[in-house]
Amino acid sequence: MRNRKTRSFIVAAALAAGFLGQSAAAADKITYQLDWLPGGDKSPVYVGVQKGFFEDEGLDVSISVGRGSTDAITRIATGQSDVGSADIAALMAAKAQDATVPVKAVYSIFNQAPHAFFALGKSGIKTLTDIEGKKVATSPFTSSNAFLPLVLKENGLPEDAVNLTKADPGALGPMLVNGGADAIIAWVTNVPLFESQAEATGNTLVVIPWSSAGLELYSASVVASERFLSERPDVARRFLKAFDRSLRYTRDNPAEAAAALKAMVPEVDEVVVEKQVGATMPLVFNSVSERDGLGALTESRVALTWDWVAQAEGLSKDRLDPETVIDRSLLEALE
Amino acid sequence: MSLTLPEGRLRRVLLGASPWLFFVALIAVWEVGCRLFSVPAYILPAPSVILNAFFDVEFSRWMQHLWATLRVALLGFLISIAVSIPIAIAMMRSEWLSRTLYPLLVVIQSTPVVAVAPLIIVIMGSDDPSRILITCLLTFFPLVVSTATGINETPPELIELSRSLDAPTRRETWQIRMPYAIPHIFSGLRVAITLAIIGAVVAEFVAAEEGLGYFIQFSTSFFRIPQAFAGLFFLAVVSLLLFKSVQWAQQLLFPWSLPRKGA
Repeated sequence: MRNRKTRSFIVAAALAAGFLGQSAAAADKITYQLDWLPGGDKSPVYVGVQKGFFEDEGLDVSISVGRGSTDAITRIATGQSDVGSADIAALMAAKAQDATVPVKAVYSIFNQAPHAFFALGKSGIKTLTDIEGKKVATSPFTSSNAFLPLVLKENGLPEDAVNLTKADPGALGPMLVNGGADAIIAWVTNVPLFESQAEATGNTLVVIPWSSAGLELYSASVVASERFLSERPDVARRFLKAFDRSLRYTRDNPAEAAAALKAMVPEVDEVVVEKQVGATMPLVFNSVSERDGLGALTESRVALTWDWVAQAEGLSKDRLDPETVIDRSLLEALE
Repeated sequence: MSLTLPEGRLRRVLLGASPWLFFVALIAVWEVGCRLFSVPAYILPAPSVILNAFFDVEFSRWMQHLWATLRVALLGFLISIAVSIPIAIAMMRSEWLSRTLYPLLVVIQSTPVVAVAPLIIVIMGSDDPSRILITCLLTFFPLVVSTATGINETPPELIELSRSLDAPTRRETWQIRMPYAIPHIFSGLRVAITLAIIGAVVAEFVAAEEGLGYFIQFSTSFFRIPQAFAGLFFLAVVSLLLFKSVQWAQQLLFPWSLPRKGA
């Protein structure tokens, strides 16, 4: 009897030791917050998971789907997620309203504005100034809306130069195709989606990116909670290293990126995703990234971004020192 | 030509088949209309296109989304029942409680859940509990109102009789008032079960990684309108089945509470 007890104790102890040993070697868990639904432009983090880049760094990354930059920032601020993607403009606007928002931008993904006008070839809209007097449809809550008056002004048009209507994002493409709008406002990452709709009706698609019309700023960025950065700095560094690797891999292997996304989100259309990756990469890899380095958040461009955001949000420029939004420690560790 | 049906067996067969016939006719008109006017799939997909889209999604994936939505809707529904029937009984017993709680219930009911949902997610996190709470907020009011109405429906003579016979309040509630309340409670349950599905879908629109509402929203974001419609139809079928299940439950448990046929 006693013998059996001793034996079971030994077994229990061995099991416990096994568990302890395992937990010591287990990967560090991270929750990555997307700022929107999965799509080609969000594929790098899926690549990191599927290709084992995070695993190589001893990380176990789970991905949480979000509904807009503000939603993503809120969830990272409240600790539901550790790190994620969000528009740096939304973070600046949030910090200008409430400086205590415990989130920092650590890496730029898009160093160009993704906003653009889309029109059909037959509409005669070719350059940004052609938009004057046209009926333009946009979605109600997109960050693009705040920048619209500035882009118009930058191109010598009055703020009310267009006749603006708002509709659900899903309705914009059909509106453009069936003549409900002369042009629509959307991200260039969606070019493949609108292109297929235009082609289905025998039309061509004209894209006028706002970045080429003077809107120079950082956009989608990797943002992290201050707690994550201060309490698990080493995990954060390893995460960014793997993310940087995933981003480069996505550029070189768009088809594999699409397959990685499809593997985790079976509802996506792999062909469209691959095209989306192609439409997204110029926002990441371009003359700016060649000059400053991938992911860089330079002081001058951060200041420029805040200039635009302050104007767009109608905030006075001294409401925020844009440098307080940035944490470059992870970027420096990458080099 | 009048719309009255012939008498006898034929009438019964026609009556039973008419919802199906109407449904089939509707689908046929839809299909023909889409083909005739070559409506593009991203505006209004034809039923055949939707059917194809439905089978393009793996069965296990459908079940995964279904389970996510059903879990939230049913748990929310059950919690609502557990909360609202006692509240209604308590309110019936105490006028003070009724006066205190009623305005609050009306305020909760008239607050658009869609507006509150993001706040609930921020406060409670983006997991099942917040989605269940959102579902409860939508479902519990019709249940409280229908239960309270039913309890008050009891003829006052019966109440007087039971009191004159010194019946304890418990017996008055369960043996006299509740039987009168059952038909009302079930009409409340039928409203609530469809609202539970709506609640789960609203919650999924705000924060979710899976579920039929999420699936529809996600498909729309990819402009896969036929796939979104397939999700919508699946959701409608599930709603119908749940609605029917409440009816079946009533037939099984309280057959006497159903209105008599032909009455």
